[in-house]
Order: sequence, then structure tokens, then C-alpha cells
Amino acid sequence: MSSPSLLSSQSTASRKDKSSAMVPDDFMWQGYSALETQWRVERLLSRYVACIDDDNLEEWPSFFTQDACSYEIITRENVERGLPLTLVFCTSQGMLADRIVSLREANIYPQRWYRHIVSNVLIQAVAEDHLEVQSHYVVLQTRRNGQTSIFSAGKYKDRIVLQADELRFAEKRVVVDTHSIDTLLVSPI
Amino acid sequence: MSSQCTGNYTGKAPAVWPAKVNQIPKEVFGDAALFEEELKTIFYGDCWHIVGHFAEVPNVGDFKTFDLGRVPLLISRGKNNQVRVFYNTCTHRGNQLEVATSGNRKEFECPYHRWLFSLEGALTACPGSKEFAPDFKQENFGLMEVKSAQFMGLIFVTMGKNTPPLTEWLGEIVPPTLSTLLGGDGRLKLLGYQKVRYDSNWKGYNDNDGYHAPMLHTAFRLLNWQGGTTGFQRMTKNGHVVFEAELKAIQNNGFVNDPSLVEFKGSDPARGSRIVQLFPATVMVKHLDIINLRFAIARSHDVTEVHYAYFAHEDDSEELVQHRIRQGSNLLGPCGMISMEDAAIFQRIHIGNQTPGFAEFQKGVTSLMEVPMDVKQNDETGNLPRWEHYRKVMGFKREGEK
Ligand code: FES
Ligand SMILES: [Fe+2]
Repeated sequence: MSSPSLLSSQSTASRKDKSSAMVPDDFMWQGYSALETQWRVERLLSRYVACIDDDNLEEWPSFFTQDACSYEIITRENVERGLPLTLVFCTSQGMLADRIVSLREANIYPQRWYRHIVSNVLIQAVAEDHLEVQSHYVVLQTRRNGQTSIFSAGKYKDRIVLQADELRFAEKRVVVDTHSIDTLLVSPI
Repeated sequence: MSSQCTGNYTGKAPAVWPAKVNQIPKEVFGDAALFEEELKTIFYGDCWHIVGHFAEVPNVGDFKTFDLGRVPLLISRGKNNQVRVFYNTCTHRGNQLEVATSGNRKEFECPYHRWLFSLEGALTACPGSKEFAPDFKQENFGLMEVKSAQFMGLIFVTMGKNTPPLTEWLGEIVPPTLSTLLGGDGRLKLLGYQKVRYDSNWKGYNDNDGYHAPMLHTAFRLLNWQGGTTGFQRMTKNGHVVFEAELKAIQNNGFVNDPSLVEFKGSDPARGSRIVQLFPATVMVKHLDIINLRFAIARSHDVTEVHYAYFAHEDDSEELVQHRIRQGSNLLGPCGMISMEDAAIFQRIHIGNQTPGFAEFQKGVTSLMEVPMDVKQNDETGNLPRWEHYRKVMGFKREGEK
């Protein structure tokens, strides 16, 4: 069971991410050039992970759209098997806020520092009102004994919109390679 | 005043336990040599172990791999829809046969020398067999089957020679609650997994009690969840525990911004909470609309891996399935906002018990000399019959016992 999930070729093939299509170099989106859009997306992602790593979690829900939004952490193992169950699944800003209230007031968990590294930010689709963006992430955790290890590796699949002059996540899907969780998962990724 | 410590921490489980039934020698959690004995006596011995559910391999050709201690297993659904459990090893030179955690095959092929096995375990091809040893007979080299039995689709295995029949082993208390937990008939549909590694001994993982829930899980209080008064906790002499509580529907008291998550759609309206804990290491729960089977692997004296598998019932409406997915994805388990504390405790129990003395049960203890069989919903004594059974199985004596 500890060996990596090598799923039957049938099911894996049918659920492969077809993500290699390129968007043109010179698109315009919401009045921004392609370069500026890329820069704004990267800045959004950097601010998002800084919010988590610097423990400003009360602000975390505001990175999502106000009306309808979706935040999901799901294992790659479940995705490739076509299984819908997730690790975290929030469908409103209220649910995002509830996660944080619960983390602050109710949950007991070992104190750890998390540090996100985000890279390979790739705009995969440009629609009139949204962008589809994939990026890779690694979360390092530093335990109380001072040792650092990799807590989670995976990718973000984001649907990003412009709302009140800010880029926000209408959908954020975290697909986790590391499906064997070390003890528990309390902070957002 | 601080208490006086009487013994030294030896790291080795003592052969003789105290006469008081509520005292567990702490060394049983951290003793690596004891773990090897437990593998032989319990995990490879005369006990039944739950390794999966039929719903994880719903179609012909579906398989799942799992470990019992260190022994790799292969669960396969054959052509006549029969589910069999094999040792996950090629009968030639012992190569691990299947490496995926799950999938669908027409047959199992060992890549080493390309021996081929049917879904039912027969050896169907073995290249070059004309030059095999004179006593080689193809029909003798089918996959090795592990003795298995099922209860409403739950797959049990045993490697012991003297394991009692499954019905006897389950006893009378377990089946009614277990069948309701499994949707009444076990016709389940797999929704997915959450898998976790605890830095904890399997007995610490398994020692959650009726006392802790309203204490440890602050969210229960914040949500104003009521356990109710008609619940019960019942135990068998061979270490199983059955727990039921009303877990009344929540009055939203403003703690949650989005109460839709904690609604009880009442797929099983009589009880909000049912828990069946089977010796040695399986926990199965139904909380609100969540059906969750926890397949545990005792990896070592200090690591326990648990696969939390979530299910819907085959007859559920699409709406109920979605609700079960939402609840399963948010409430319980290692990422669940109302009970992830258990995970933190498993680790701390393991660290904290590497100290002198005893882990001592209090809540509900009425006699120090007799293992309680009659306990209340929120007592921790429901775990003592399991400890007593464990002690006897492992051959530990009690003080004064011959
Ligand atoms: S070990 Fe499997 S074919 Fe030789
Ligand atoms: Fe708990």
C-alpha cells in the first residue's frame, strides 16, 4: 500500500488532465495585456499563500468571490479513480469562515509552521469573464523540534475572476499528490 | 500535590499487569518487541480482520490491495462475482503481484517471468514450463488464498488456524448496530478515501472512549450538539464495542455561518450516531449522514495507517449522495473540522505514555477488581473489556494470578 498509486491504465487515461494546450502570447483580458495578466495572477497567488503562511487566516476567505465560490482539497488518488470525496470542500465564503473559526476556537492540533512554495503558474484558458490557471505547490512543514519536511505537494486548478477591481478565486481546486496525510490537515492549502 | 512515581519506565511491557483492572501499563504502547508478538498472536493469529468492503470492488475484475500487518493482500472480484482474498504474491518466486492500490484487470500478470493468474487465482500460463522441476504441476500453483468471510459486504480475513466462525466472533451485540450502520443491507457505493498516517501505536489509535467526545471536541459544544439520553455503550467479552447516541439535530446557535453542512437529512433518523469498534483495530461510524469505515494497518509499534473510506447507499437520491459527500469531506476524519483533535491525541497519547506508571481509567469505574460490562454512554470504561481481552490474548498475567 505504501507504493505510489499506479492505477489501471484505463481509468488513469480517461481522467488525465488535458492541460498542455497553449493560450496565445498576446491576449487581452479585462483590459490587461497578457504580461500584466500573468503578473496579476502571480501576485494573487503570492498574496494568497502569504496570508496562510503568515497566519492571517481571518483574511483568507476574502481571496474568494463573495457570492458563489468553491474551495476544494481533493487527493489525486480520488480524482484519478473518479471518486468525488474530498479532504475539504467549501461552497460558500461562510463555510470558509467556519473553517477558520473552528481552527481558532475548537480544533486541537500540533503547532507547526507551514510554508508554501508556488511555481509553474500557467494560464490555461482565457474567457471573457474568467481565467483558468494551473500552478504547482509544495507545502513545507516545520515541526516544533525545528525539523522541516514536505507536508504536501500538488497543484492548484483555479478559476479566477475580476471582482471589485481585485482578482479573486471563483473556484480553487487543490489536487493533492500526497494522499497519505501526516496526522491531520488543519490549515488551508 | 504532585504524585509519587513508584516504578521506572523500562520501555518493555511487564509480563504481570496490576491487579486493578483500570490500570494499563504504559509500556504496551512503545515496546517494539511487543509489536512483533502482537503481529504473530493477533494480526496473523486467531482473529478476524476487516480489510475492505465489496463496494470498493464493485465490478468483475476490480481489485484492491491492502496490508495485514506486513503481509500484502490482494482482494479480487472474480467472474462469478465472488470476492476472494489472496496473498499479494506470485507463486513462482514470491514477487509482489499487484502494485496498484486498486484497479481493474482481466487477469493478474507477474512481470518477472510472466506467469499469469486468473481473477479467481488459477495459474493460467507459465512460460517455459516444459523445463520446470519434475514435480511441477500447474494446478498446484494458483494464488494462495487467505481465509475470508463477509458480513454485509465487509470483508474479513484471518490467518489463524483456530479462529472461531465469524458469526460467533461477532457475537449478538454487534450485528444489529453494524447492519444499520451499513445502510441496513450493506449495498453501499464508494465515495472515496482520506488516508492518514498517525505516529501512534494501534492500541492508542483504538482507545478513543465515550468520555472524551464532549470534552475534547469543542466544536460539539460550540454547535450545541446533544448526545441525548437514550444512547448506550455495549461491549463483548472479546473486545468489541458498540455505541449509539441520539446526537440530536443541531439548533443553529450562530457558531456556523453556513449551517447547511451540519444538517441531518435523516437517512437513519433514530440515531445520529452509531459506532462499531471491532477488535483489534477497526472502527466504523455513522455520524449524521456520514457512513465511514476505517481500515487500519498496524505498521509498527509507533505508526498506524488508517484509510477512511466513505460510502453512500446504492438507493440514495442524488441529493443525499451530494450531502453525504459534503459532510464526509468536512466533518470527520483527519481533516474534519469537528473531530480532527482525535488525530492530535493519538500522537500525544503515544509520546506521553513513554513515561513510568499506568494509563489509568477513571470515568465509570465502580470496581477495581472486576472488568465492567455495564457502562454508561459517556463512560470510558467501555474500553476495559477490550484491554482485558487483549491482555488475555497476549498472555499477560495479573498480579496474584497463577
Ligand atoms: S516471480 Fe512471478 S513469474 Fe517469476
Ligand atoms: Fe473523538
